[in-house]
Amino acid sequence: MAGRPGENTLAAPAAYAARPSRRFWRLHFQRRITLWGIAFVLPAILFFIVFKFGPMIWAIELSFTSYDMVSEPAFVGLDNYRKLMADPVFGASLFNTLVYIAGSTVLITLVSLGLAMAINTRVPGARYCMMAMFLTNLMPIIAVCLVWRFLLHPFGLMTQLLAPFGIDRVDWLTDTRTAMPAIIAVTAWRFAPYFMVVFLAGLLAIPRDYYEAAEIDGATARHRFVHVTLPLLMPTIFFVVVISALLSARIFLMPYIMTGGGPGNATRVLSMLIYETGFSYLKMGEAAAISVVLFAIMLVFTMGQMRLFMRGERVHG
Amino acid sequence: MADAPILRPPRLSVRLRPLYRWIGLAALLALTVAFLLPILWMTTTSFQAGEKMFQLTTDWIPTEWHWENYPNALSRAAFPTFFFNSTVVSVIVMVGNVVFCTLAGYGLAKFRFPGDRWVLLAILCTLMLPLEVTLVPTFLVVYKFGWLNSYQGIAGPLVIEAFGIFLMRQSMLSIPADYIEAARIDGAGELRILWKIIVPQCRPALAVLAVFSFRDSWDQFLWPLTVVSVNEYRTFPLGLVAFGEDYGTPPTEQMSIAVLATIPVFLLFAVLQRWVNRGFGLSGLK
Repeated sequence: MAGRPGENTLAAPAAYAARPSRRFWRLHFQRRITLWGIAFVLPAILFFIVFKFGPMIWAIELSFTSYDMVSEPAFVGLDNYRKLMADPVFGASLFNTLVYIAGSTVLITLVSLGLAMAINTRVPGARYCMMAMFLTNLMPIIAVCLVWRFLLHPFGLMTQLLAPFGIDRVDWLTDTRTAMPAIIAVTAWRFAPYFMVVFLAGLLAIPRDYYEAAEIDGATARHRFVHVTLPLLMPTIFFVVVISALLSARIFLMPYIMTGGGPGNATRVLSMLIYETGFSYLKMGEAAAISVVLFAIMLVFTMGQMRLFMRGERVHG
Repeated sequence: MADAPILRPPRLSVRLRPLYRWIGLAALLALTVAFLLPILWMTTTSFQAGEKMFQLTTDWIPTEWHWENYPNALSRAAFPTFFFNSTVVSVIVMVGNVVFCTLAGYGLAKFRFPGDRWVLLAILCTLMLPLEVTLVPTFLVVYKFGWLNSYQGIAGPLVIEAFGIFLMRQSMLSIPADYIEAARIDGAGELRILWKIIVPQCRPALAVLAVFSFRDSWDQFLWPLTVVSVNEYRTFPLGLVAFGEDYGTPPTEQMSIAVLATIPVFLLFAVLQRWVNRGFGLSGLK
């Protein structure tokens, strides 16, 4: 590569700026680098157009039609949305999805922050406790659902464990009052350890000096938490809330396996409704309309994340 | 130690610390056991006799070890095929994510091109377009490609995830641009720079990406359920659910399959564990 005209320009670009022939080569060199950058990103862009943005636009289009995969889509205007508004099952599913998002987001955030702070006390062996807890996050969701379905069975382990406390058998998954809280708790069991790791990384990034300074100033543990930890952890908390909300919004398997959407419609969520409407009843237009509603919910949560991103904050994995 | 008076208050709390440490450790151990209990239950149940279920007692160590639950369970349905399919799909997804997220992450971290901020924002937007949301149209796309009942159909829509691109980009941002420019001046090609300079520094992030992309694909249920209709291409979660609906099969055998399904993910984590901790930014934790 010796003697390539462009190579020295990086070392001293100003010296060559005035000389036209050199400038030509410099632009060429820079442009080649730019083209490489585009080439690296291009596969991902094309992929997202085919499998994310294309389908989303198609979903919006389909939501104004009636389509069953056999005959051509027929334009029906807002009929699908009107039908949804009048459908009590859709209303219940929308309500359940929102309850589920709120419940699991709050529970996941609190539990994972609590666990991270427990690990961060650095008691001997804390690292191994963390790794052990993280295993729940690696267990296949289907296994999680099946195991918990047995554990929460009226004759399951939960009843055994609660018996010494005088709590009689509870039909966790078949009682309208407990089914949704039970699924939310299982969700937290499965996902909190991941966010625990995220919080832990956030906690480790807070300089020790801040705590020492606060301690010297006589701040109690509670004060240190409120005035040092919380403010510095805010971006992480925000990240955890947004990501766990997006995660909960798309939940399907937990209610599908543990309760099948029951009892009644107490745990039916939008993703289950999309699948049933689209593929059991082949009402693809109506299913697309539900997708648009679910998308709108997720958009609200992503907006927050995007604003943070636009402000030039760190984007977490 | 002239300023000892200022240091005295913290020392007081230092003296109390051993007690706190023991209480803390006890609490942490209790939490860990609470989190691990369902996994232990799954493992021990997979070795129990079928009639032991729902008797309101749990033998944490089985009095009789029923190893035959495993071969029995595997022979009830085409589970060897299902596990093979899951492995093929998950490996495709893992390799796809590792390769393409590294490329895209590098392109976005270390190159400037017109509209690069918009690309970044667009990729962020795909976080709200999971398969559950775009289920119907993505199914129609795969149908138009003629990919129903095929590995590429199950793996295709999962091959690149926005999460991976951000993870890789984030880990590359801190690599000094000087390294790259120096290599360029030495005449190294762009792909060589990526392979020789960038990738070795991103091993922790790559390990995290490999574990999570494998697990996410291994976990997929709704998507395979939608695009697969023949046993030949079913993945293990579909088989496991069909298994559960068949009331003739004892739940203990279901647990055997659940244990077998958990092992590959735990193994992958164990192999990459050294890097994963650093990838999470936990190198400060001893």
